[in-house]
Amino acid sequence: MSKAATFLNSQVGRKIATGVTGFGLVLFIIVHLLGNLAYFAGAEAINTYSHTLHQLGPLLWIVRLGLLAFFLYHAWLGVSIWLERRRARPEKYEVYASRGGASRQSWSSSSMVLTGILLFLFVITHLNTFAFHDFATITYGGVEMHDVHARLTEVFLQPLYTVYYVVIMVLLGMHLRHGVWSAFQSLGWMSRKTNPIIYSIAFVLALIIAIGFIGLPLSIYFQLV
Amino acid sequence: MTIHLKIWRQKDKNSPGKLVDYTVDDANPDMSFLELLDWLNERLMNEGREPVEFDHDCREGICGSCNLVLNGMAHGPMQGTAVCQLHMRKYKDGDTIVVEPWRAKAFPMIKDLVVDRSAFDRIMAAGGYISVNTGAPADANAIPVDKYNADQAFDYAACIGCGACVAACPNSSASLFTGAKISQLAHLPQGDPERNRRVVNMVDQMAEEGFGDCSNYAECEAVCPAEISITSIAKMRREYFNALSEIE
Ligand code: SF4
Ligand code: FES
Repeated sequence: MSKAATFLNSQVGRKIATGVTGFGLVLFIIVHLLGNLAYFAGAEAINTYSHTLHQLGPLLWIVRLGLLAFFLYHAWLGVSIWLERRRARPEKYEVYASRGGASRQSWSSSSMVLTGILLFLFVITHLNTFAFHDFATITYGGVEMHDVHARLTEVFLQPLYTVYYVVIMVLLGMHLRHGVWSAFQSLGWMSRKTNPIIYSIAFVLALIIAIGFIGLPLSIYFQLV
Repeated sequence: MTIHLKIWRQKDKNSPGKLVDYTVDDANPDMSFLELLDWLNERLMNEGREPVEFDHDCREGICGSCNLVLNGMAHGPMQGTAVCQLHMRKYKDGDTIVVEPWRAKAFPMIKDLVVDRSAFDRIMAAGGYISVNTGAPADANAIPVDKYNADQAFDYAACIGCGACVAACPNSSASLFTGAKISQLAHLPQGDPERNRRVVNMVDQMAEEGFGDCSNYAECEAVCPAEISITSIAKMRREYFNALSEIE
């Protein structure tokens, strides 16, 4: 086996790969969030932002395909680690409890597979709602571009979709609460001193991201912008 | 004090097991949990019934033989304590305690509360050793070790190999045990000659034995009687990455 194959098949390598792809996806999420915020600066701002992104051409496709690969690999690793655990303990405990203390078992870490699967399904519907949508066009200074602003407004004025989106963003926050800390630990960037600090930072980051994503649809729905 | 016990009884690997109720109505708060089991066993034997099999040796928290899950927690409710060092004063009169063995595919059942933990020995044999010269004993201070590394190595060396980390892990991962052994030797010059091969082989062996992946639940650290930190697992990952990039 080549070194790369040995690495990716080992328990340590799988964990490091989960962390690396996780970090990549978090980075994308942060950029996506910043992009969303352009909505607050008005229709022209967000439409121009989206237009500029699309002008990147091949570069955009490289990033898109890279993201897709990261996303699928991350999901596959998560599910396979979860399947592995069922095999590793065929007979369950009659009674099982967490000791607390140093344990990081929580509503977040115990539901990673569930939140992960729901996020996966969400991404498919989300791409369908936005990326693959046949956008109306609008012209600014002679340049024709997609009217992303109109689409966002249209979608988030629907109560059902808004609720669905908000719930999923709460799940995203839950996933990142354990995920971000866990990625640091998986990559070995952890010492006894930094452990509690990183655990707190992960919580704050997850909170900011969830609130950030929830802010836009709620502002649109309640017509605050 | 009266203690109600629900103890896992299983004749052997191939027979089904079940929880059986016992009541000890004259338990003493100064008894250790294992002494409570001794007390129960004595009574069972006098009645001509089969005693409960359980592992133990030193009964002072240093050998790593005892292995009981009490009410769902490996080694019971006390932090940094092997179950042999847990005393009944921790419980109240009338309490019910469910007693189960370590459960993991890599720790096959032998009988009742006794499981086969030789998978740990095979992980050790895969790389948990160092090369030393035979002959006359070397001077203890011949190889200098600075205080930081000496302390780190000592903390990791505290692992008693009990397997509670595996038992408590939702994934049945042996990462804390393996990480502790690797980290201990990685902090010492004596560990250098086999450094790269050690981590690769031990990590391989861990998977080979059927232990699960680590999901960073850190439940292992919470139950570890030696309070080994999960930073040992982070260290193992760094070591593994470096080893693979250096090995030809
Ligand atoms: S790391 Fe702790 S729980 Fe695991 S075998 Fe060593 S002493 Fe036991
Ligand atoms: S019997 Fe030796 S550690 Fe418990």
